[in-house]
Amino acid sequence: MDQTHYLIVGASHAALSALHAIRLHDAEGDITVLTRDQSLPYSPTVLPYVVSGRSKPERVFLRDEEYFARLKVKYRCGVAVKRVSPEKGAVQLADGEEIGFAKLLLATGAAPVLPAIPGLAEVKFHVLRTMNDAIGLREAVPKIKHALVLGGGLIGMHAAENLAKGFVQVTVVELQRHVLSGYFDADASGIIERIFAAKGVQLLTASRLAGLAAHVDCWRATLGDGTQLDADLLLVAAGVAPVTDFLDGSGIQIDRGVLVDDWMRTNAGNVWAAGDVAQARGFFEGERILNGILPDAVGQGRIAGMAMAGDAGAKPYAGGVPLNTYAFFGQQAVSVGVQETALDPAGVEVHKQVDAERARYLKIVLRDGRLAGIFGINWAFDPGVMWELILRRIDLGAVKQAFLASPQQTARGLMSKTWR
Amino acid sequence: MGAFETISFRPEHCDGCNDCMIACARAKEQSDDVLHSRIQIVPAEGGFELAMCRQCGDPECVHNCPAAALSKDGESGVIDWDASKCVNCLLCTLGCTYGGIVYDAPAARVIKCDLCDGHPACVKACTHGALKFLTTARIYNEVGNLEDLFVPGLAGCQGCNTELIMRHAMRRIGPDAVVATPPGCIPGMGSVGYNGLTGTKVPVFHPLLTNTASMLTGVRRYYKRIGRNVKAVALAGDGGTADVGFQSLSGAAERGEEMLFICVDNEGYMNTGMQRSGCTPYGAWTSTTPVGERGRGKTQDAKNLPLLMVMHHCAYVATASTAFMEDLYDKLDRAIAASEHGFAYLHIYSPCTTGWRFPSDQNIEVARKAVQTNFVLLWEFDPQGGLRLTHPVDDPFPLAEYVKELGKYRHLSEEQIAHIEASVARNVSFVQGLAAGRPPTAAAA
Amino acid sequence: MSAVLKPKSKFIVCDGNEAAAWAVAAARVELVAVYPITPQSSLVEYLAKFVADGRLAADLIDAEGEHSVLSVLQGACLAGARTYTASCGPGLAFMFEPYVRTPGLRLPIVMGIVTRDLLTPQSVWGGHQDAMSVREAGWIQVYCESVQEVLDTTIMAYKIAEHREVMLPVNVCHDGNYLSFGAARAELPDQAEVDAFLGEKNVNWHAALDPQRPMAVDPLTGGAGGTGPSTFVRYRKGECSAMQNALSVITDVHEEWGRRFGRTHAPLVESYRMDGAEYAIITIGSMTGAAKDAVDAARQRGENAGLVKVKTYRPFPVRAVVDALAGVRALGVVDRSVSFGWDCGPLFQDVIGALHYAPRRIPAMSFIGGLAGADITIGHFDHVIRRTAELAEGPGAAPGETVWLNEKD
Repeated sequence: MDQTHYLIVGASHAALSALHAIRLHDAEGDITVLTRDQSLPYSPTVLPYVVSGRSKPERVFLRDEEYFARLKVKYRCGVAVKRVSPEKGAVQLADGEEIGFAKLLLATGAAPVLPAIPGLAEVKFHVLRTMNDAIGLREAVPKIKHALVLGGGLIGMHAAENLAKGFVQVTVVELQRHVLSGYFDADASGIIERIFAAKGVQLLTASRLAGLAAHVDCWRATLGDGTQLDADLLLVAAGVAPVTDFLDGSGIQIDRGVLVDDWMRTNAGNVWAAGDVAQARGFFEGERILNGILPDAVGQGRIAGMAMAGDAGAKPYAGGVPLNTYAFFGQQAVSVGVQETALDPAGVEVHKQVDAERARYLKIVLRDGRLAGIFGINWAFDPGVMWELILRRIDLGAVKQAFLASPQQTARGLMSKTWR
Repeated sequence: MGAFETISFRPEHCDGCNDCMIACARAKEQSDDVLHSRIQIVPAEGGFELAMCRQCGDPECVHNCPAAALSKDGESGVIDWDASKCVNCLLCTLGCTYGGIVYDAPAARVIKCDLCDGHPACVKACTHGALKFLTTARIYNEVGNLEDLFVPGLAGCQGCNTELIMRHAMRRIGPDAVVATPPGCIPGMGSVGYNGLTGTKVPVFHPLLTNTASMLTGVRRYYKRIGRNVKAVALAGDGGTADVGFQSLSGAAERGEEMLFICVDNEGYMNTGMQRSGCTPYGAWTSTTPVGERGRGKTQDAKNLPLLMVMHHCAYVATASTAFMEDLYDKLDRAIAASEHGFAYLHIYSPCTTGWRFPSDQNIEVARKAVQTNFVLLWEFDPQGGLRLTHPVDDPFPLAEYVKELGKYRHLSEEQIAHIEASVARNVSFVQGLAAGRPPTAAAA
Repeated sequence: MSAVLKPKSKFIVCDGNEAAAWAVAAARVELVAVYPITPQSSLVEYLAKFVADGRLAADLIDAEGEHSVLSVLQGACLAGARTYTASCGPGLAFMFEPYVRTPGLRLPIVMGIVTRDLLTPQSVWGGHQDAMSVREAGWIQVYCESVQEVLDTTIMAYKIAEHREVMLPVNVCHDGNYLSFGAARAELPDQAEVDAFLGEKNVNWHAALDPQRPMAVDPLTGGAGGTGPSTFVRYRKGECSAMQNALSVITDVHEEWGRRFGRTHAPLVESYRMDGAEYAIITIGSMTGAAKDAVDAARQRGENAGLVKVKTYRPFPVRAVVDALAGVRALGVVDRSVSFGWDCGPLFQDVIGALHYAPRRIPAMSFIGGLAGADITIGHFDHVIRRTAELAEGPGAAPGETVWLNEKD
């Protein structure tokens, strides 16, 4: 049985961040990285840009062979883990091979959720989570005329935009009343939706896909209200869920994701989890949430790596804060923190400026005089600085009015005073 | 990683003229619109502050990039941005807590400082001295051209950093000085020489352990009387400073004698066989606080000598560490300047590989851990500005990380570590109180 | 002592402490460090006042203790300053560490000792125990008899100390209480004459802390290996030679003083009515005045008593003592301090040691008086003379047969 001190399953941001953190503290301990992918590591976030052609597949790799060689890391791609035995300190691969470990990190990420839509199993559809998905989609684009995107979340919207740029007629079907509902309210989404509409993308919100079937040379979709749409490409982007199937029987506790503590450790003492697969404490909620966003995966990966290596500099997880940046058709939307609707109304104040004409939007949510959320479209502020203001629970106190008037300048001043 | 270059900002010298921002916008975008500037000066609390890329050592923006468009250059330390790879997702902006990488709407992409290939336009444009281009090697390059004022081959123990302190300090102070090195490691390693041969290229003498500050008083007073500016410098150990030398130190400080007194604190009488001093911390093994069936190391806390010097209203008081050389050099410069008109006291923590019992290649690491755990606080004081923490550690390492490095603490019990932790916490609270202009609380006092 | 008034000199009335301060001003001392202690305190106050009044153009450093006082002077002297301080008793004891180092550094520092008895018993009054306790430290020690002698000797001390063949520190001792506070008429010498007398300052040609001629002052020296032993011996022997050189330098300087200022003080020992003396009493310091009166009275009675006063105590003027006493049949030595191990006075010890070089054995007796401010009266000296006269007739005193003069006072 192959034996390694650190075993990392997965090779995206959480895994790479953990690997980096381990090597900062432990220059020698054996590290093995396993990934299902057949390539060097890449980020799922870049895939829509592979689809659009903006990113060449061979130029998006986050690390090269030389990196792994220099860090003395055994990088094994095209390898899937079938079973994990924490007590035994070993994993079993799909081909039956066993690898022993002292410390295991689960960073397997998330996979697309396939909604229960009659006929879905019978039709050919695309998802977008792997490089192969992206290349497949990219190769399909020139041959199609009308794409149907199921889901108006970030992946769906990114894909829709990129398909539209490829001169494809795109229709997005979203169950919620507005797109990107995880990050923006109706006013903000309205601005985004108008821009998509102006670019010729059809957005069908508050719509349910009731069925799918083959129809001549395309697929026919039937919506909840009976409307029928024909499309020659179907992309399912109805959300993702942590990849945990291989943990059955491992004894590792799973809710929606792998449950971890503030050190990213699972209930098994020698197993950690980080990134999209992990379900860690929410900053606002207190209970454990899924917060599948890249910067959080990086942070969780670092904590896990430091904890695994015994680095005393490790700090407990501050808690997951919803975050996103979203660039579309030359516009920028940023979401840092929670919407007021997610908070107990006591002590909450909301300051909103909407200029739909010029596609500008700003909403600031304060709780007890502290920043809880800030959301902007085409509005300049520093997302990282705002995130830090939230994490540090900084009382805006005397500068509250200044912050509301000029969040960027005021936050930079607070930054200089507080953590420069 | 290679050298880290960065642009330092001294807010006290900035008047908000925006010349740096204009220079940057012109250099990078051929525009006078400061929105394009990678350096952003922002008004804050009556003065100005800075938002720009710090070229972090372990940059979050790079970790956050899904497209491999950002990378840290191992040679220059600059965080490079590759336009051909960037997908404009803006996730990098979430990673930066300094406003160092931002979306430039007119340019339709993120922008960040690239240090202009080592010749930053903003620094050249700053006529107020608020911006300075720093490289890791800067201080070494600067002092490298200055004459080393000690002979080669001083006989310090392997891994000793006192020699480093002596050589760097005297290079900066220069040859127009008289140096006093009271008994201890500094003369012990040969700076004052043997049998008529000297180890130093400036006038050097070996005062008593007790009278360093007094002898220097006489030297400086006489040169001042005859109109010659000769710097009076003490390179003393903690015993000759805090214990038997304290009376003359206190007297000279009270009289405001013009001198620079550098205390190299290795927490005991290391030269004579590692005996306890008033600067030896609680719990430490020394040859006079041995560990045995009943003895568990020193049973009292160290006296806080630099704070005692603050209470003398010296022209300048600072603590420093060889793990933070930029900070040390800044303080050395200010201490030298202050010694021209008053008493300047510089307390430099100097881990002792021999007496503290740790591997000789770990000296700087031990010094760093001392600061990272708040065991050692880095601050400076002058009567006008009060006390200021120069390297506040908000989020310290557990004290155990420092303690476990050192053989002199190997015997410590949980209770003893708790005692040290409580002392550290008390000291942090006390010093933070002074820095905030707060009277010390009863609990802190 | 002849009192020929030189042009521009003037008379003042002052005590010994003020006289010392006048001398410091006249010697153009550049740096003074002080710390007050009874009975020296008024000396320090005079110095401070003279500086404040512009009469003494020196930097005055009020140090935080005697230890620092002398340390400041060491630094200043190595930088090139002419320096002064004064102390006594416990202050001198506290100063001991830099004190013992000063002669080895060959620093021509002048320091007054306003002599005071040492603790314990707790006492703040005069006595020679302080100065006598440091007699082996390597300082030149001279003891003054009068206010005028304090003034003149303090000036002369610079010329002695800074002499190239000497280069040693000098203690000018004057008795606490009796000389420190006893006022008398004194002649203040003309400044130009003093300047001419002292000539060029000469303090750090041999060892300096000066960036223009960098050197290590006092590197570690000695040990058993290399050139250590010979180097150390060279230093020590040089110090001893300088001490012996001082005997002739002191003599020459006193002679020159007499020529220039018309006042002659005996440099090493003063012989008083020693012509035809059958026996002698030996004195030191201010007690000598009363002793001389007692000797005069004895002579009037037809007794052949004489007196020898020791002024220069370190270096001990062995030859001068032997020469002065060679003709007597007995002698009594009066000390104002004790030598504990010998159960006698230290001056007694030195005198009988010197008499080893006399052609024949002279019976001698130790008298101890004037401790802690006690007076040694003419009556006490009558007793001393009588006991010494008896000694000349008998077999001589046994070891430890010491007479305590104030035992019944």
